[in-house]
Amino acid sequence: MTGYIFNNLHIYLFLALFLMCCGILGIVYRRTLIAMLICVELIMNGAGLNFVAINRFLYPDRVNGQVFTLFIMGIAAAETAIALAIIILIFRRFKNIEGDRLKEMKD
Amino acid sequence: MHLADVVFIIILLITMAGALITVLSGSIIYALMGLIATMFGIAGMYVYLNAPFIAMMQILIYVGAISILIAFAIMLAGPMFKRPKEWTKPVKFISGAIAAIVSFVLFFTVVMRTEWSGIKAAEANMTTKDIGRALFDRFMLPFELISLLIVVSIIGAIMLALYSRKEK
Repeated sequence: MTGYIFNNLHIYLFLALFLMCCGILGIVYRRTLIAMLICVELIMNGAGLNFVAINRFLYPDRVNGQVFTLFIMGIAAAETAIALAIIILIFRRFKNIEGDRLKEMKD
Repeated sequence: MHLADVVFIIILLITMAGALITVLSGSIIYALMGLIATMFGIAGMYVYLNAPFIAMMQILIYVGAISILIAFAIMLAGPMFKRPKEWTKPVKFISGAIAAIVSFVLFFTVVMRTEWSGIKAAEANMTTKDIGRALFDRFMLPFELISLLIVVSIIGAIMLALYSRKEK
């Protein structure tokens, strides 16, 4: 069973690392707030993958990593709901959702 | 090379291509499509990691709920054709790439230098029953707190929408 590629811890860790780097690049590079939020979701996916991979290979007789991945999903859902509500409000007020052009707050 | 390996490499490529589309595409709806591809790929990874329940939850929550939410927000935030392209200045791309590469090298070194001495044969199969038992036994308080957090965030989103409408 050890000859398979997918039976290797490092490939999952490097995939999660790749997702995190894509997320960092996207947060800096993208123009609109929704795209930045999408990149945050990428980072959260990578974190969940890390948890499950570590759980599978290092502690296969426990379920802590999988439970934490479920928690990450719940937190991601809550965060997305709040962030999208705020983004819609920003769009109603400023008529755009570009991160560079939000320079004033409500007085 | 076994068939399982071929399928795994295909899923891996789908995931990485989805992440690259998410970051580099010019339209925000393409970015969302890339995110959905990435989420499906991660669900496949969970199946390979002996966690079918997490894979199902990934598809249900991420692909089913969060991406639909983001799609609604994209549709509510103005028409597509009026929006400029997603690409910003090249300075931003270079700085973001520097940050990404630095963090990649950093964590690559950390992963390679760590001695993963505890790698076991992993023959113990943890089923969904064990997850449910852990959720309602050891992780009772965090589970309830997560549900409270989701309720609070949903109420907060509704209140934000209501008050902004009242201002007009």
